[in-house]
Amino acid sequence: MTDATSVPADRHARLAGHVFTLLVLGAWAVWGLSVQSYQMPGPLDILRRLADFFTDWRELRHMFISFGHIIGAVALSFVVGSACAFLAFYLPRTRLMMHGRLTPFLNSFPGIGWIMLAIIWLGVNDLTVVFVISMVLVPFAILNMREGLDAIDAELMEMGNSFTRSRWRIFRTLVVPSLYPFVFATLRVSFGVAWKVALTAELFGGNTGFGYLLNLARNDFDTPLIFGIILIIIAFVYSTDRWVFVPVQRRLARHHGPA
Amino acid sequence: MARPDAPANRPGNTSGRARPGLAERGLAEGLIVAALFGWWALSRDMPSYILPGPLEVARATGQLFTSPEMLSHTLASTLRVVAAVLLATVIGTGLALLPERFPILRVIVHERVQPFLNSFPSVGWAIVASIWFGPSNGTTIFVETAILVPFCLVNVSTGLREIDREMIEMARSFTRNRARIFFKVTVPLLMPYIVAALRIAYGVGWKIALVAELFGTESGLGFLMQRAQTQSQAGIVFATCFAVVIVFIAGEKLVIDPLARRYRPA
Repeated sequence: MTDATSVPADRHARLAGHVFTLLVLGAWAVWGLSVQSYQMPGPLDILRRLADFFTDWRELRHMFISFGHIIGAVALSFVVGSACAFLAFYLPRTRLMMHGRLTPFLNSFPGIGWIMLAIIWLGVNDLTVVFVISMVLVPFAILNMREGLDAIDAELMEMGNSFTRSRWRIFRTLVVPSLYPFVFATLRVSFGVAWKVALTAELFGGNTGFGYLLNLARNDFDTPLIFGIILIIIAFVYSTDRWVFVPVQRRLARHHGPA
Repeated sequence: MARPDAPANRPGNTSGRARPGLAERGLAEGLIVAALFGWWALSRDMPSYILPGPLEVARATGQLFTSPEMLSHTLASTLRVVAAVLLATVIGTGLALLPERFPILRVIVHERVQPFLNSFPSVGWAIVASIWFGPSNGTTIFVETAILVPFCLVNVSTGLREIDREMIEMARSFTRNRARIFFKVTVPLLMPYIVAALRIAYGVGWKIALVAELFGTESGLGFLMQRAQTQSQAGIVFATCFAVVIVFIAGEKLVIDPLARRYRPA
């Protein structure tokens, strides 16, 4: 990315980035002072509120519940999505059904629709939240895993077939390892999308989690908490991407070549 | 990359057909028929506020496009999505071009603005905007635009990285007029990426349109859906979902696909 920029130019850009961050924080503080706190709380208000949040277990609990919802839904949708992709891979007759009918349908059905329906069907609870997130994630998982299966080198499979007739063995030693980068991409995309859906799902269909807390805060005009939660999410999403997903992906790319 | 429609040499595939055969078609359309039939059979034993039948939903969906009152909601949502997609494409492209012209802004755009917008939760925008601006058309468009900008920014930035630098170099040897180079060389080269950004923004835009309308307005399909849910009218909830799918597919086939064909990458 930075191959064309020289070192001093890069340093200037970096400096500009830090100055920008400070300017934004400053402008925010001024803005926060000049309007009512329920409209736009300043950075200090939010920090104070966050300190309360992290020391009050009744509130902090919702953060861990949100994590639970997300991990549950990512795992569930990964299993279901991979199963669908494998079905279409091993039974080519189901390809059109899977990739031409089911996936586009799931992909274009609005997430909020699942929320409303799940509330009617399952009520307002954790199950609804996990169900909704999973329904939104499944098409992503199918699409990604399908791409991985399509990218498997046909010659490699041929070679495998000439060594053994055990399909299980080919699956274990050839198919699964060549899917690693795509498994990873699936998890990464799912995780990013899951956060966004989770909040909406919890807001309407849950009685726990960050989304629920956001709704409480909205009703109480507790704007500092709203911004606090948003900040936690931004920090969390950004840092997992930067310090978990990007390094792992770089590693996988080194092992598997540009996937 | 393997072509998805060329299933030859796949395990378990002995016939090596290139086009979907009768059995494949049959299974695919069979799924739709079976799903419709299963839905109908299930809905017969259930009260319509839990699972309305396909006919009832079809009727409600039809109304969304015919009855004047319902049509106004559908149109309101559509116009907002279109406005937000256009705005987001313009802002996203603008942001992506900034570091190109002023390299010092690179870190600001790519490491501050983009990750911030990208990880900002969409419901967060919806709530914050309803606090700041109150319910109005502008609020919804603001929310949708804020959610869509990072998608456009990422796409156009990728395009800028991948367009042929030599072409711009060549243009520079012909003229020193930057505006001329920009409009005659950079923009045409970027067009495929801008159209791709438009396509993604349009797809995501419809997905989040309903969320954006839940707090910010008193019209649109999102408003309609929430009202239907509180009144336990599952038929209308289903119908609004299908209406979104229909309008989405129509827009993609009638506007985005022709645009993409016109500006296919060279």
